[in-house]
Amino acid sequence: MSEARSLMLSKKASRRRRLASLAGQSLLFLVTSLSSVAVLFIFIFIAKDAIPFFELRGFREFFSSTQWYPSHRPPEFGALAIFFGSAIVTLGAALVAVPLGVLAAVCLSDVLPFNLRQIAKPVIEMLAAIPSVAYGFFALVVLAPLLQTRGGGALSLVLWAVGVPVSILLVIVLGEMAGERFPEKVRRPVTFLAMALLGVAALAGLLRAASFLNDLKIASGANALNASLILGIMALPTVVSVSEDALQAVGRDLRMASYALGATRAETLLRVIIPAAVSGIAAAVILGIMRAIGETMVVWMASGNAAQIPQPWFNFLEPIRTLTATIAGDMGEADQVTGSARYHVLFAMALCLLVFSFLCNVASEWIVARTRRRMA
Amino acid sequence: MAGTSTRKLLDASFTGFGIMSIVLMAASLLVILAPIFSKGISAYVFRATIEHRKAQLDLFEEGSEKRLHEELGRVAAARKPVYDMLSAFDAELASKPAAERRPYTAELKELKAELRALLGPIPGESKRMLIRDHYGQTRWDRALVEQHRVLFAEQYDYSDPTKPGIKIWVPRADRFKGTALEPLFPYVRDHLGDMLLPRWTFYRGFLTQSSRDAHFFGGIWPEVLGTFYLTIGAMLFAVPIGVISAIYLVEYARENALIRLLRSCISTLAGVPSIVFGLFGLAFFINAAHVSNSKSVLAGSLTLGLLILPTVIRSSEEALRAVPATYKQAALSLGASTWKSITSVILPAALPGILTGIVISMGRAAGETAPIIFTAAVSVGKPLSLLQTLTQPTPALPWNIYNLCTEHEAVDEIRHVQYGMVFTLVVLVLILNLSAIILRARLSKKLRT
Amino acid sequence: MKKTLIAAVCGVALLAGTAGWADNSKIVLDGSTTVGPIAKAFAEYYMGKHPEVNITVSESGSGNGAKAIINGTADIGNLSRRMKEEEFDAAKAKGVDVIEHVVAMDALVIAVHPSNPVKGLTKDELKQIYIGEITNWKQLGGPDMKIVVISRDTNSGTYETFQLLVTKSDRVTDKAEYVGSNGAVRQRVLTTAGAIGYVGLAFTEGLKSLPVNDVEATEETVNDKSYPISRALYMYTNGEPATGTPLADFVNLYKTDDGKKIISEQGFVPVK
Repeated sequence: MSEARSLMLSKKASRRRRLASLAGQSLLFLVTSLSSVAVLFIFIFIAKDAIPFFELRGFREFFSSTQWYPSHRPPEFGALAIFFGSAIVTLGAALVAVPLGVLAAVCLSDVLPFNLRQIAKPVIEMLAAIPSVAYGFFALVVLAPLLQTRGGGALSLVLWAVGVPVSILLVIVLGEMAGERFPEKVRRPVTFLAMALLGVAALAGLLRAASFLNDLKIASGANALNASLILGIMALPTVVSVSEDALQAVGRDLRMASYALGATRAETLLRVIIPAAVSGIAAAVILGIMRAIGETMVVWMASGNAAQIPQPWFNFLEPIRTLTATIAGDMGEADQVTGSARYHVLFAMALCLLVFSFLCNVASEWIVARTRRRMA
Repeated sequence: MAGTSTRKLLDASFTGFGIMSIVLMAASLLVILAPIFSKGISAYVFRATIEHRKAQLDLFEEGSEKRLHEELGRVAAARKPVYDMLSAFDAELASKPAAERRPYTAELKELKAELRALLGPIPGESKRMLIRDHYGQTRWDRALVEQHRVLFAEQYDYSDPTKPGIKIWVPRADRFKGTALEPLFPYVRDHLGDMLLPRWTFYRGFLTQSSRDAHFFGGIWPEVLGTFYLTIGAMLFAVPIGVISAIYLVEYARENALIRLLRSCISTLAGVPSIVFGLFGLAFFINAAHVSNSKSVLAGSLTLGLLILPTVIRSSEEALRAVPATYKQAALSLGASTWKSITSVILPAALPGILTGIVISMGRAAGETAPIIFTAAVSVGKPLSLLQTLTQPTPALPWNIYNLCTEHEAVDEIRHVQYGMVFTLVVLVLILNLSAIILRARLSKKLRT
Repeated sequence: MKKTLIAAVCGVALLAGTAGWADNSKIVLDGSTTVGPIAKAFAEYYMGKHPEVNITVSESGSGNGAKAIINGTADIGNLSRRMKEEEFDAAKAKGVDVIEHVVAMDALVIAVHPSNPVKGLTKDELKQIYIGEITNWKQLGGPDMKIVVISRDTNSGTYETFQLLVTKSDRVTDKAEYVGSNGAVRQRVLTTAGAIGYVGLAFTEGLKSLPVNDVEATEETVNDKSYPISRALYMYTNGEPATGTPLADFVNLYKTDDGKKIISEQGFVPVK
């Protein structure tokens, strides 16, 4: 096409035109590269203020001590408990968001009819749209007092709501599988017996767990559980939409082939579609984790901000402190004028967050790229 | 392999779990939005007392003066017995010896404080400075709470030291038995309506008025305006750069290492935690580039703009890619240059999609808190004029929600203001998103036909 | 045509913008959340009389107040502690002549949930609670209930005062929950049965305040210094503001009768 055009123009005109287009293109490129300049600047400016901290205090204390007393004399900057806090709420958020999100994505892409999907999508979009401070407000004003006054009851209610359907399913499947091993004649009674036994066992287990939860006294509603729950809900939309994209990308052919072999929908999904989309789902999980670990307002308002590693470590009912909340809360004392380590330590934390999210990003991109290559 | 029935059951339960997860998601949305909406609306629509109308007229010159005077007359008549009883009791006390007087002094002081909180200043007392002490309860729901505190004193029963005390409400009437004050309590119980004249009110001023006396009175206009400025400022910065970047990436860029690097920079930018943007805004825009010499709307807008830049780029890219290649080919074959074909054919076709992305990122910019903590937000300030945004900081909805629900000295008394703010912010963001959804629905309809 | 118009508008806006740099009709306050209520009420009072002045108040902690004065990002830095030597030095190095105004006195009230039967604490018991030696109200003759220790964020003057007067060289327990403001301490203690916290005098509404060493925190005990944990509240300016300027009027409000009334109505103790 371009040859055809250049035939119609004089040489000078065509050169001018080429030059203009080149200039225009480089201008566009410059504008586009602004965002990479921004990334570079962010890294430089955060690192510039983070490095003096490591020069002043070295690496060891920061990464290995749990003693966080920045305004004590002499100050101590052991951030291990804070790293732990960020990790544990992120783990909690992942425990909420990943199973729920992946199931929902599967449901959206393969189970629900088109009309219902059109209704479910806005729900996810609204969850994604609600500002984080509104989530934080809810966590602080509604959820925290609720956890304190009726926490045990609420937790056991959740246990029943999730535990009953899961255990019913498990009992029936295990019962049937036990029955299959016996000859046709005794199969029914054996199956029944197995189901009854398993059912009783499951019920007993549930009852025990529920009564344990019911008696639980939550001293403080601002704790890791509260923050994890809300962060999980906040990370859901990311997990759902990215894994749904991954599931959609698997394509009709594989699905059709699987159905043609007589597989049910569940089998098709579990054995064919999800394995094929697993890397995309992994990317979704990574993005969800990034969302959770980088969130500030909710953890600042609802996690209790105690720089400790709870005993035992998985005790979600203890208050914890995260990196983001520490940055937001401690910046008030950050007097770079006096060049204190207190100012720079916050930048050191920001640098850790930045590096972590960068690595996550690289990982998810690598996963997506690899899948694309494999699919092609 | 399990039997057919198991397989069928598994299949059904799988479907069930999927639907359950969606239902759970919708339920959590509902659980979060329900209190925000129900209590948030009550910041706008509530039963306002005469004190509200008085404050409105005094502080904001809103409402009819004539009608207020007529109502004030009625109210004064209804309140007269209360004040008469108080002065009668004062006289009674004065006639008693000091020893008999003493047990009543603390009680009376407490009662007067509660009455002042309920009805406003007691006639004859010296005028107080804080505006919150010039008026009684402005809202009927708060008035009922306060009425209870007038009638009953909160006490704790500590008789069992091994258990936390049990809250008991002791009728104050018992403490003033046989005095001139005894009939005050049944009177306050039965005539509160006459003394406060509650009326259902749509309080438009909550959105359009500035707050007075640290949000005890007035509305949230400076916060709304601040959010508006910050959002628009962020868009002014992010949209041109974002759309141009998207055009370059879609229409011009060839796939090479440089472009791949650019792309991964953009997705890195998208993954930077919002608080890091805040730190960067402080370290770069304010401390290094000196766009303003302290926090300002400008610095906040730039920071927010950076935050939403990747979102704008990505959504514009998607919209541009969705334009059928035939459009471009047709334009080119008519002799248009690439740039001409982009501006006159591709951009208009992609515009609704680009707009959708812009509107969604507007919602994001309006709701973000962490980036503006260090760059733009203050807890008290006037509504700014356009020029002041270059140099001055502003209150903004997201930050002030945090501020009011954690830092304010009277968190519970102004709970309705907090809910009202959250409600306003959420509605604002949801409206933006809803318009994006509608825009997109229209677009997909247009593309299908 | 359109373009020239836009250019003209932009030009005018820019000009007016640069003109706006020099205006002295704004006062920027930053710093302590304890001083916040006083600053906000003063701002309200002052703007009521001088509507042309825009006063902004940020409550971001005393450390930030000091920083703001040193860096010149605020006209007034609110602190709930005295400026530290380092901060004075930094200010001097930057050519900032720091002037101190003691606007009010305040006590750190030890607050617990009203259902808590404990009648009072000694200063030593208080210290033991905060350094994690006493962890249950049972140990103090109260109910068998875990003590939820609430502390102010380490960037606050309130925290530093508490550290200076109570915990001294020992470290606050790592179980302590940190919150960002007096209001937040009040909120957390009010909703948590086992909680203990320390707040400024203006933030005790609804809480049970415990006497320390048998002394209640009141205006009198703060004034005669018998309450063991009291402190002054400060506003700092860069140089003594020229008389007649809004800044001078504003920062001297605490000396006026109205200012004193505002301070005592807020629950603080005005300076004599």
